[in-house]
Amino acid sequence: MNDIGEFTLLIALATAIYGCVAYIMAARGNRIDLYLSADKTPLIVWGCVMISSICLWRAFLTNDFSLQYVWAYSNIELDTFYKFASFWGGQKGSLLFWTLLLTTYTVVVHFQNRKKNLHVVPYAMAVLLTIIIFFLCLVNFSTNPFERIPLPPEDGRGLNPLLQNYWMVIHPPTLYLGYVGFTVPFAFAVAALISKNLDDGWIRLTRKWTLISWFFLCMGNLFGASWAYVELGWGGYWAWDPVENAAFMPLLIATAFLHSVMIQEKKDMMKVWNMSLILLTFVMTIFGTFITRSGLIQSVHTFDEATLGYYFLAFLFVILFSCTALIVSRLPLLKSKNQLDSFLSRESGFLFNNLLLLGIAFATFWGTIFPIISEAVRGIKITVGPPFYNQVNVPIGLALLALVGIGPVIAWRRATLSNLKKNFYRPLAVAFITAVALFPVIPLGSRVENYTYIAFILCAFVMTCILSEFYKGTASRMGLHDESMFGALTTVTWRNKRRYGGYIVHIGVVLIFAGIAGSQAYGTHVEKHLKPGEKFEIRGYSITYEKLVAIEATSVKTRVIAQLDVKRNGSHYWTARPEKEFYKGQNQPVSEVDVLSTWREDLYMILADFRDDESATIKVYVNPMVSWMWTGGWIIAFGTMISMWPDRLEQRRRLERFRREESLFPSPAQE
Amino acid sequence: MPLLKFAVSIFVAAWFFVSVSGTSYAGSLLQDLENALMCKCDDKCGKVLVNCTCSTSDKTRAKFSKMLDSGLTVDQIIKSQVDEYGETVLSAPTKFGFNLTAWVMPFIALVAGGVGVRKVIYSWVDKKEETVTEDEPEEKTATSEKYSKRLQDELDGIEL
Repeated sequence: MNDIGEFTLLIALATAIYGCVAYIMAARGNRIDLYLSADKTPLIVWGCVMISSICLWRAFLTNDFSLQYVWAYSNIELDTFYKFASFWGGQKGSLLFWTLLLTTYTVVVHFQNRKKNLHVVPYAMAVLLTIIIFFLCLVNFSTNPFERIPLPPEDGRGLNPLLQNYWMVIHPPTLYLGYVGFTVPFAFAVAALISKNLDDGWIRLTRKWTLISWFFLCMGNLFGASWAYVELGWGGYWAWDPVENAAFMPLLIATAFLHSVMIQEKKDMMKVWNMSLILLTFVMTIFGTFITRSGLIQSVHTFDEATLGYYFLAFLFVILFSCTALIVSRLPLLKSKNQLDSFLSRESGFLFNNLLLLGIAFATFWGTIFPIISEAVRGIKITVGPPFYNQVNVPIGLALLALVGIGPVIAWRRATLSNLKKNFYRPLAVAFITAVALFPVIPLGSRVENYTYIAFILCAFVMTCILSEFYKGTASRMGLHDESMFGALTTVTWRNKRRYGGYIVHIGVVLIFAGIAGSQAYGTHVEKHLKPGEKFEIRGYSITYEKLVAIEATSVKTRVIAQLDVKRNGSHYWTARPEKEFYKGQNQPVSEVDVLSTWREDLYMILADFRDDESATIKVYVNPMVSWMWTGGWIIAFGTMISMWPDRLEQRRRLERFRREESLFPSPAQE
Repeated sequence: MPLLKFAVSIFVAAWFFVSVSGTSYAGSLLQDLENALMCKCDDKCGKVLVNCTCSTSDKTRAKFSKMLDSGLTVDQIIKSQVDEYGETVLSAPTKFGFNLTAWVMPFIALVAGGVGVRKVIYSWVDKKEETVTEDEPEEKTATSEKYSKRLQDELDGIEL
């Protein structure tokens, strides 16, 4: 089977090269025979990569330690659940997994478009296959997951204990689905540039792909935060690590892209800008992989040898150079009318939204690469950690939060003073009431506390802006039709999925901001060394350390569990069981925290240390409003689903608009 | 739009005041140290001390607690760590010399971008006004003005 896996990767590479060349020649020479021949290649490439992946999965599940990769990331005792996930536990497998996802996306694109959009699709397929070729070259010649060990050992080294968490099965695939997904809009953008079809066709063709990729990237970031929160055991969820930054930057740029394409769709403006944004988004996904795979920047995510950085760097430069040259060569065709009715309009709001999103992305990028710059200039590789990002990004983030409220409420084309007064009267009043109500209750003084105060006021402002939009739509529907409030709300949302889905996403964003603000400013923690029976108090919780239990979970894993009784208002509230897991052959034990999460706050317990006399060091964090973030994430997911849902009404409206435009502006032939 | 300019000025002033005022963290002195310094364990974990759970970080925390109890200030302890490990022990760049570029560059980029966006928007608005002036007949009738105003009012109220 391993030979089959290795061989199919070679077949996939040869087929992808042929397909890429054939698509280009078919498009350039207008040769249908070549197109029909190339048309089969995406499916063959996908089939080969899938067979290869199945072979690798099989090797993991059958403990085939003759493969160096399986030996390095699995062992006999590993749960089947984690054996499945070990596929992407290291560099070799994760690159094959990336290739698998990319070929799967390519096949879907192929089936969606094989009989339409033929002026763009061959080029888009050629771009997709070029990127597939790069990854196939890596897995074939540099990081082959089917590399053998001459004398296979009896057991493997095992998966890094930090990766033995259920999030390992969910987080990396989600993030990869996001990363890889942006290849599709990027490929269509490049195809539009090559084929000179530079209207908003490529945006409409890839709108759902962009949304899906954005959704997965967003969820991937949140799942990563959630994983860090439950696994790393320091009470936090985001450490501004270079690899976290690498996933965050494309999300920010893609968000800017999602907003600015609306202006191109509505007003046929900002073509160059949108091209640049999607190029930058894709480049950032590769940059993220470069950071992870180069070892140039120290990261807590370096679970593996990092040897491929320079391949990715070279690939990055080739993409940047060729795409920039392509955009520059097409500048005359990308010129648009670029006219605005007023400075005070929603269009301007989108531009400032783009500015702030890119501002945060740039600050994050700058902080990530500054250690390299510092080393090059001064010879000292300094650290750029959370204090830098918090101080630089939080004020920009707050300005962005304000725009989340202002943007949807301000009128398209031209906002007048009466329009502004009418739309902002209520949100500003609610913001003012929030400011006055919170002032005496929440502590102020430190920078974090002051920021949090402003964040809460802005959250109230934005939430009122969004809810008033729902209210306006619902009230006008109720006035026109005899419908109940719920019925009108549902109909209004369902008939304007894109708009109201977007508002729901914004509600999720507000909750995430509120959760971050609350947990950063008002969290507290305590560390106690206790003997069984001793107790202590924190924020109204009375915690008694009861006992320590050691369990031989498997032949390679021992669990040491501390049991604590938590009382609130004198009655039993929760039994906490934080633990430490010891893996054979690993230097450091792994903490498994125990968390009781409520809407108000999380009670987060860590077994930091223990001794032979059963005494233990317990760390307890009280983290307010953390669950608001996860709730915000699910609301974002819900909103994105609504936005993405197929809308026949909108399709019909768009078709009618095009027909109208065609009759208004007859083609030269008709004239 | 004097009211709008006033509101924006207030917001920017408040933003600036909050950015520069106050201490960084709301927590204890130990927490300030944990946030300011990196863990220096043999594994080179690359974590800020507050985020690290290794045994070295526990020992470092205990050492800092003792240093604070002995009357040393946070700044003195940070200085002693820099003397021992060099600048790499700090979790963020210092705010002088070459390191200052780390702090100011994002804001320079943002301000430059803001000025650029403002300029672009005004140029687009000017372009529109020029087009409208060229297209419009010289004399507007009272009726067309009435309808234009009505149309504008309607557009203000609806979502396209």
